[in-house]
Amino acid sequence: MRILRDIFRRRLRSSLTIFGIAIGVFALVMLGSVAESMNRMVEGGTEYYAEKVMVSDDSGAGSMSVTPMSLSMIERIEEVEGVSRASASLSVLLDDLGAVQMGMPALIIGSDLRDRGFETFPLTLAEGRDLEPGDRRAAVVGADLVTRLEAEVGGEVELRGETFEVVGILGKTLTTPDSTVYVPLADAQDLFAEQLTAPVREALDIRDVATGLVVFHAEDVDSDELAARIEAEVADVRAVGPGAFEEQIGSMMGIFNSVIFGVGMIALVVGGLSVVNTMTMSVAERTREIGVRKAVGGSDGAIMRRFLGESALISTLGGGAGLALGALAIGALDAPGSAMAGTFLLSARLAAGSLAFAVALGVLAGAWPAWHAARLNPVEALRYE
Amino acid sequence: MNDNIIEITGVTKRYRLGKDNYVNALRGADLTVARGEMVALMGPSGSGKSTLMHIAGCLDRADSGEVRLGGRRVDTLRGRELVSVRGREVGFIFQGFNLIPTMTAVENVALAAEYAGVSKRDAIRRATGLLELVGLGDRMRHTPTELSGGQQQRVAIARALVNGPGIVMGDEPTGDLDTATSEEIVGVMRDINTDQGTTFVLVTHNPEVAEACDRTINMRDGVVVDDGMALFTEYRSA
Repeated sequence: MRILRDIFRRRLRSSLTIFGIAIGVFALVMLGSVAESMNRMVEGGTEYYAEKVMVSDDSGAGSMSVTPMSLSMIERIEEVEGVSRASASLSVLLDDLGAVQMGMPALIIGSDLRDRGFETFPLTLAEGRDLEPGDRRAAVVGADLVTRLEAEVGGEVELRGETFEVVGILGKTLTTPDSTVYVPLADAQDLFAEQLTAPVREALDIRDVATGLVVFHAEDVDSDELAARIEAEVADVRAVGPGAFEEQIGSMMGIFNSVIFGVGMIALVVGGLSVVNTMTMSVAERTREIGVRKAVGGSDGAIMRRFLGESALISTLGGGAGLALGALAIGALDAPGSAMAGTFLLSARLAAGSLAFAVALGVLAGAWPAWHAARLNPVEALRYE
Repeated sequence: MNDNIIEITGVTKRYRLGKDNYVNALRGADLTVARGEMVALMGPSGSGKSTLMHIAGCLDRADSGEVRLGGRRVDTLRGRELVSVRGREVGFIFQGFNLIPTMTAVENVALAAEYAGVSKRDAIRRATGLLELVGLGDRMRHTPTELSGGQQQRVAIARALVNGPGIVMGDEPTGDLDTATSEEIVGVMRDINTDQGTTFVLVTHNPEVAEACDRTINMRDGVVVDDGMALFTEYRSA
């Protein structure tokens, strides 16, 4: 209580310092939670890709971002030794590119359902049922898209202008499936066809089209080795195992994380310097008081603890305020249906880490002024005007 | 048992003001104060009386000479022991009262006891008792700005007494007070001196304060020129 009174003896200055720390922590929390969300997505992705090989067309047939491939490829791939199952999928963007998009773009994925029973990634249904063979115009909606699409089981949603019945809603995975709508392959093929120019559409047997194959390995077969074998044995395909995914994404995330935390740290260090300033001023102003405290028997340690306590309290208040502000902002921005849903993830380790860093910074920043205060000669301090 | 609570012999102190600019504040001062005495330390500005008091109270360190409090050498003490002497054996009262502005009267007094290792509850209890003793029983929860100068100095006296020291040192304790209040404060100190046997050493310019004391010690140019003993002895034997 006394320590609070001392801090707020200079109300404006202390408030500004606390505000400065709060902004630093707020920045760290906001930026950090973007990084955490990305990390979580990548972790989920790593898990998702761990036991499978993704096969796509590599014939150089066009510069389209998604190159169609023939379903006949399934048979050819399944002939490769070590493959237990190949399943076709066709991805279509839910929204046209160009819209401001944070994180991963939302996708419509059509599946031939051949992966069911082989998929090891834990995908759970929050409500309703999975797609079944023979379904048409049916959709299973990912967790982050529920509010945006106003999806409810038994209701209808509009996907790229077409109406679908919602048969199921997925549980939250914190990775790609959250922003994905799953539909029968034939429906995805129809949506895909609409995006093609007329000549291409006519040249193509749309029922034979997929954009990729998910390949599951037989027992005791390494996914990366299997990927290499597929590329060697089947012409014109690119096969990617989990190793390639981790390599690409891993180094990218490393840079991304350092940039984001670097910026957050700079914000906090600036806040820390203002703690040094505030405490130095406070010590200078209270030189006489320090002399009095020493004259009535205050030890160097007691004086030092007092000032360290003040700076620790200032930075704890600032850190707490910044964290609370960050949590509120993330709560608002991450609300279901918001364009930024899924962009932020305020993890426990981020929250605890930011707060701990702020407190440590405060103690560190207060150390020099506190030490200086403790070392003052009592007689000189008493004479100080 | 030695009945001199303060024994100072040949103390010197030189302050450095700037490069090659020194002031010899004390040039071999001697001072002896008996237990239970109330003495005034007088002399012109710069005569070294405050410095002598600071050294006697372990607030400052002599360059040479010996300082004994209650028969114990204290000029050689360092660190924790020095802090302990300062806190428990000596109490200080200042001209500008020097109370901590954010604390109430009772907290100001209790602080000194807490520094000496007394639990917060006991410190508050002691402080309450002492504030009643100096006549501030109804002003415990007031902060310094809500108290008059005389009341603030009473709080300071209570603070100086809270650890039951043998000696209380005052540096111009009435310097900021009007004549009537000054008399009151000297009266409070005199009563404590008489009732509890606490030794008082008061640095002062005020002849009326000196008159209220048992003896007046005069300083000039960093030495004690008259320790007032002649008059004191005369007074005692009379």
